[in-house]
Amino acid sequence: MTVRMGFVIITSRCIDCDACMVACRAENDVPIGKTRNWVKSSGVQGEFPKVKEVFQPGNCMHCEHPPCVSVCPTGASQKRADGIVIVENSKCIGCKYCITACPYDARFANPETGKADKCTFCLQRLEQGLKPACVQTCLGKSRHAGDLNDPESVVAKLIAKYPSRQLLTYVGTGPNIYYIDEVVPEIPEGK
Amino acid sequence: MEITWGLLIVIYLFTAGVSAGAMITSNLTLLLGGKDFERVGRWGALISPFPISFGLGVLLLDLGSPFNFYRLFMTLQVRSPMSYGSWAILFFTLLSVVYLYLWLPQKLQIVGEAKALEQWKRRLAKIIPFLSVGVASYTGLLLNAAARPLWAAPLLPVLFLVSALSTGVAAVIFVSAITPWQRARQGELHLLTKVDALLIALECFILLAMIVMGRLSSLSVAAAFGSMIYGQFAFIFWILIVGLGLLVPFSLEYMELKEKFSVRWTLPVTIGSSFLVLFGGFFVRYIITYAGQLTRWF
Repeated sequence: MTVRMGFVIITSRCIDCDACMVACRAENDVPIGKTRNWVKSSGVQGEFPKVKEVFQPGNCMHCEHPPCVSVCPTGASQKRADGIVIVENSKCIGCKYCITACPYDARFANPETGKADKCTFCLQRLEQGLKPACVQTCLGKSRHAGDLNDPESVVAKLIAKYPSRQLLTYVGTGPNIYYIDEVVPEIPEGK
Repeated sequence: MEITWGLLIVIYLFTAGVSAGAMITSNLTLLLGGKDFERVGRWGALISPFPISFGLGVLLLDLGSPFNFYRLFMTLQVRSPMSYGSWAILFFTLLSVVYLYLWLPQKLQIVGEAKALEQWKRRLAKIIPFLSVGVASYTGLLLNAAARPLWAAPLLPVLFLVSALSTGVAAVIFVSAITPWQRARQGELHLLTKVDALLIALECFILLAMIVMGRLSSLSVAAAFGSMIYGQFAFIFWILIVGLGLLVPFSLEYMELKEKFSVRWTLPVTIGSSFLVLFGGFFVRYIITYAGQLTRWF
């Protein structure tokens, strides 16, 4: 089966420490004021003493049908064979069409390069057999990344074991971040 | 949520529409009206290249890597409206300059023989309308392709086309009525005013259909249209677009066509109403661009 790179994010394990955002910035030289990933809060829900707050980390969903790729007028926005969505900087003219086209607002205009910028799945780390920086640093083990099509991967095992959801599926983008809200006491072994 | 495409894009959307509309006005008056409509035909041709050229300059300024813009013309991405749109506006702008040359007074036509030029004028007038329709409507497809609730409206290309025609006709009326040289005759202005009134009525109908369809659609789409009709864009929508941009100029044009104004007032009313159509047309682009980006799926 073809490789389909994606993320599994366990919201119940996120404590909103924002280390993923710091790690990403450090790894990828993301300019201050912009970010390739984020942690969104549900806000405080319920009434005292029964209150809760859920954090939902995110980044580029590396969609199956990425609108950012189809709208790109120069072919700079691409979906690789392994499913990772990237921007080829030399082709990017900075028209920002992909930024408006992304329903997850996962892209931004990089003020330093003048190009569209986004999560690259830390390609440079992947080539060395490492996990993306945000996954590596996640102390609550909320973030996981790998080949969703490989049954031996952590991500595939998690999806198989727990109910998961994706964001804005009705927009038709086929996002490749799967969110698990249930309590996950133990992270399975795997690739 | 922040605005990625700002005023520069709005200006481009507006100017490209005006150019395409003025071009079609000139083409059709030449082909269907002949000598009787020479002045408005000429003014349409003389105006047409300028708004879009200005818009293209502004568009270039909006690019993050403006020196990379030639990349647009090294490929054709069939799934990207911006890609085929770029080719369309390239050919349109070049042809509009050629067409302008063909309409210049004879003493300024240094190259070419008068009779041959006249023939070419008619030939071009038969081809360019297709390109103009493309230039006027592809911007709607362009927004359609960006997955945002307001921009998902399938009537968007039609709205932009009709608005482009309306503002194009209005631009021709405005310039050919205000100029001391080659001023349009009453008969010419009368016909264009009639066409413009029809286009405004059509635009009202399309806007209404879009809003009804949007409000009956999914929650996100309904909320996006809500921001236009009672949310943060309500003032722009009701006062600047519906009021000053559609109803007021339509009423003025209607009364003018029914000859309710004395001769002294005809010209000022013509100039005023055509200006309001342009004003409203600008805000149509503004509201679609801004409200489209400030509303999202949920």
